[in-house]
Amino acid sequence: MDDPTPAIDVSGVHKAFGQVKALNGVDLAVAPGSLTALLGPNGAGKTTLVRIIATLSRADAGNVRVLGFDVVAQPRQVRERIGLTGQFAGLDDALSGRDNLILIGRLAGLRRRTAAGRAGELAATFGLTDASSRLVKTYSGGMRRRLDLAASLMTRPALLVLDEPTTGLDPASRQQLWTELGELRAAGTTMLLTTQYLEEADRFADFVYVLNQGTVIASGTAAQLKARARTGSLDEAFLALTATEGSPS
Amino acid sequence: MTAVTVTETKAAPIRFRGVRDSGLIAGRNLRVLRKNPGRMLYPLVQPLVLLVMQVSVFGNLALAGHAAGAAGVSYREFLIPGIIIQNAALTAPVTGLSLLRDAGSGLADRFRSLPMSRAAVLGGRLASDAVVFTTQAVLLLALAAPLGFRVRSGLPGMVAIAGVAVAFGLSIAVLSAWLALLINDAETAERTLYFPAIAIAFISSAFAPVRDLAGWMQPIARVNPVTAAASVIRAIAYGGGLGFPLLEFACWVAGLILIPGFLAARRWQAPD
Repeated sequence: MDDPTPAIDVSGVHKAFGQVKALNGVDLAVAPGSLTALLGPNGAGKTTLVRIIATLSRADAGNVRVLGFDVVAQPRQVRERIGLTGQFAGLDDALSGRDNLILIGRLAGLRRRTAAGRAGELAATFGLTDASSRLVKTYSGGMRRRLDLAASLMTRPALLVLDEPTTGLDPASRQQLWTELGELRAAGTTMLLTTQYLEEADRFADFVYVLNQGTVIASGTAAQLKARARTGSLDEAFLALTATEGSPS
Repeated sequence: MTAVTVTETKAAPIRFRGVRDSGLIAGRNLRVLRKNPGRMLYPLVQPLVLLVMQVSVFGNLALAGHAAGAAGVSYREFLIPGIIIQNAALTAPVTGLSLLRDAGSGLADRFRSLPMSRAAVLGGRLASDAVVFTTQAVLLLALAAPLGFRVRSGLPGMVAIAGVAVAFGLSIAVLSAWLALLINDAETAERTLYFPAIAIAFISSAFAPVRDLAGWMQPIARVNPVTAAASVIRAIAYGGGLGFPLLEFACWVAGLILIPGFLAARRWQAPD
C-alpha cells in the first residue's frame, strides 16, 4: 500500500496532568479512508490522545497534524473538517433532538435552511424522525448515542473521531451503530475510534493501535496482532501484549 | 466511493461570526427556558414575591425627618429602588451557574470542537440573560407602581430605571461568570455565589441610608455599586442630584463587564 499524506499524523506526543503522565511519546498515523481503532486498557491515554487530535487539549510536546493542518497553529481549519463524538454526549438535554442538530450545524457554519434540511435527513438515517421533536432528556442511551453521532455528521466531516462510541449500549444498539459506521466508511469517511470491545476492532478496523501507559506498544491489522501473540483471539493477543510489553519506560 | 444524495453542506464564509454565534447561543438559551419554564421561577417570580413581602413588612416604617425622608419621599419609596437592585444582584449568580452547567457537560467539548467563535458561549449567555433581566425589571416596575412607586419622570423615567437595573444585573452577572469558572464546581459555586450577592445588597443604601448602617459597613456601603445604582434610580424617580451617582455607576458597570469579562472569556477558552 502506498503511503499518501496521513489523515492524522501524531509524532512524539507527550502529555502530563500534574504528576500523572498520560501520554509518553506517542507516534501514530491514520490512513485516509481507513477505520483505525485505538485499543487500550482504562487509563492508557486513549481519551487524552483523542482530545488532543480534536483540538480540545494541548500536548506538552510533539506534533499533531490533522488532514494536513497543525492542531495548535490551525485549530479552526481542523475544527472545520472533523466531527467528534466524545465519551459524554455533546448534546443539550433540555432541547429537542432536532433543535440540537440544527444548533450544532449552524454553529459549525451552516445556513439555517441547510442545517434544517440536513437535520431532517440525519434524523431519518438514524431512525430518530419520530423522536426528533422530543427533548433529549427523554431519550434512551442508544438514541442519545445515535443523535450524538448524527450531530457530528451535520457538516459531513472528512474525519470522524469517536471516543468509545459503543460503550454502555446494548448489543442491538451497538449492532445498529456499527451498521451506520460501516456506511460512513463506505462513503469514504476516515475514522479513528477508541473502544474497549476487542471484537469490534477485530471485525471492523482496518488498522489497530494498542496503547498502554501512554505509549503505543503494538500496531498492525487485527490479524497481524493475533499472529504476533500466537493466538486466535484479539482478546488474548491484547492481554499478552499489555502484560509482556507494558511499561518499558 | 458511494455518495449519498443529500443536502449540500459546504459552509459559506460568515461575517461577524462572533455576533452571529453569540446570537445562536442566546437563542438556544432562551429556547431552553421556554421548553423548561420552571427555570424562570427563580429569576422572574421570586423577585415579585420579595418585592411584595419587603414592601408589605417594612414599607410602613416612618422615617419622617430622617435622611431617607429628607427628599420628600416615604420610606416605602426609598425602599423600592433598593429592592429592584437587590433582585438584580440575587439573579446574577444564575449566569455563572448556567455557564458552569454548560462547561461541565459534554456539550462544552462539542462547542470547543466546532469552528465557532470562542467568545460566543459567554456572549450568548449574557445576551439571553439580558432578556431575563429586562423581563424581571419590567415585571418589578409593573408591580411596584401599585405598591406606591411613583416615578415623577413618567414613562421615560421608568425605561431609564429598567435600563439601570439591567446594566447593573449584567455587570454582576459577568462577575459571577468569572467566579463560577474559577470555582469550576457546580455544587460549590451554587453554595458560594449567593453570599456575596446578599452581602452587597445589604451593605449598601438599598434598604437604609448609609449613615444609619453599622459603623463598619459605612465605608463599604459608600463605594458599593448597589448604592450607586440605587441612588441613580432614586434620582431618576424622585429628582435630585443624578450626576455623581451616574458617573460612579457607569464606572462600575464598565469595569465589571470589561475586567471579569476578559478573564472569564480567557478561562472558558483555555485548553486543558
